[in-house]
Amino acid sequence: MIKVEIRGLHKSFGENVVLRGIDCDIKTGEVVCVIGPSGSGKSTFLRCINCLEQPTEGTIKVDGHLMDEHAKNIDELREDVGMVFQQFNLFPHLSVLDNITIAPILRKKMDKATAEVTAHELLARVGLADKANAMPRSLSGGQKQRVAIARALAMKPGLMLFDEPTSALDPEMVGEVLDVMRQLAEEGMTMVCVTHEMGFARQVADRVLFIDGGVIAEEGTPDEIFGNPQGERLKGFLSAVAEA
Amino acid sequence: MAAQHIVWMGAGERGVVPMSFLDLFLESLPLLVRGLTLTLELAAVSLAIAMVIGIVAALMGMSGVPVFRSINRAFVAVIRGTPLLVQGYFIYFGVTSVLDIRMSAFMAGVIALSLNAGGYMSEIFRGGIQAVDPGQREAARSLGLSASQTTWRIIIPQAIRICIPSVVNQWCITIKDTSIISVLGFAELTKMGQQIIARTYRSFELWIMVGVLYFVAIYLLTVLARIVERKVSLD
Repeated sequence: MIKVEIRGLHKSFGENVVLRGIDCDIKTGEVVCVIGPSGSGKSTFLRCINCLEQPTEGTIKVDGHLMDEHAKNIDELREDVGMVFQQFNLFPHLSVLDNITIAPILRKKMDKATAEVTAHELLARVGLADKANAMPRSLSGGQKQRVAIARALAMKPGLMLFDEPTSALDPEMVGEVLDVMRQLAEEGMTMVCVTHEMGFARQVADRVLFIDGGVIAEEGTPDEIFGNPQGERLKGFLSAVAEA
Repeated sequence: MAAQHIVWMGAGERGVVPMSFLDLFLESLPLLVRGLTLTLELAAVSLAIAMVIGIVAALMGMSGVPVFRSINRAFVAVIRGTPLLVQGYFIYFGVTSVLDIRMSAFMAGVIALSLNAGGYMSEIFRGGIQAVDPGQREAARSLGLSASQTTWRIIIPQAIRICIPSVVNQWCITIKDTSIISVLGFAELTKMGQQIIARTYRSFELWIMVGVLYFVAIYLLTVLARIVERKVSLD
């Protein structure tokens, strides 16, 4: 089953053309990792999927519904698409528990008690059962990101987008976040991850997209992409990453 | 003895012994405190309304509707571009004469001060809202929160914290600006001071007393504000 259908996606910011025509289908349950040099349009591609960026041209459909920021039901459509950001973006004025329950209470009209039970379960799942009443400022980066994942999962999304979720973390905290993501992938979540963690992409992805210059320059299984890169640009990118 | 009464005292040329400072102080203080009470009432009512005007105007200023943005810009430009004294006269004498209505000096003062402070506050709030990390809006929208839920539940609570120092600043200014409203004949603290001086000719002592009362009221407010600020701080 096709979860996301992307056709002829172009995105420009003023004169700056970022995406130059992307076609891509993502199947339900598929884990897709997006790699590529910085400035190549990976994040913009991801942000178009839940319409944080409105495409300049082309269409994105999630479960057959057109993602358009002017659509009346765009808020409802976004409920099904969870997103995790590089900078966590936890709500600093709300406790960990309130961060997780605010959307289910406001959007799904869930009563507070039910939402909190779910939130506690999610916190346990990401290994932060004891942090429910903490404020975000008291958490480490890795803990913040795990709360952000729990927050997104609280809406029971059918698709999760990860925008470089470990890039702002200290090295020793990368593992705990990737573990949660790996577990999510094993449970069958449909995921699109923009990442610089080649090890994670290699191990967890069903498919890897190499985006360069605003197009999908190469795509395939992790074995194909990492084991047998075809184009010069991908080869150059992989060797640059390996040196780092 | 009649000569002890404030109405008769202080005037050397009346041929009576000048009143001692202690007597002047004890006689004046209740009147000045009554003036201060009115000052604070005028300021409190005006500032409460100004906060609402400020939030609405700020939201209009950032609205996607161009007409709203223009209204906000014009409003702020007029408020900033004209003296409060002129605004007060315009409302108390100008508007009432054209509309043929009667208005108390207090009412005119409230209208002038709340519009005036509201104009400045709208800029404070706009700045505060725009200072909230754009990632906050993105995170809220990605969870499915609507634009207005995002604004009221996520952005405004953070913007308020950012705004507190500037808002308290504006409160202090508006409390002092009530003295300008004294020209409308409203017996707030400054006017009260003038009236006592008119009878006692004791400018030096009275203006010190008036000044100290303003200072104490505002100082207490800023102390309170600092406590609140520390309480709600996110750092």
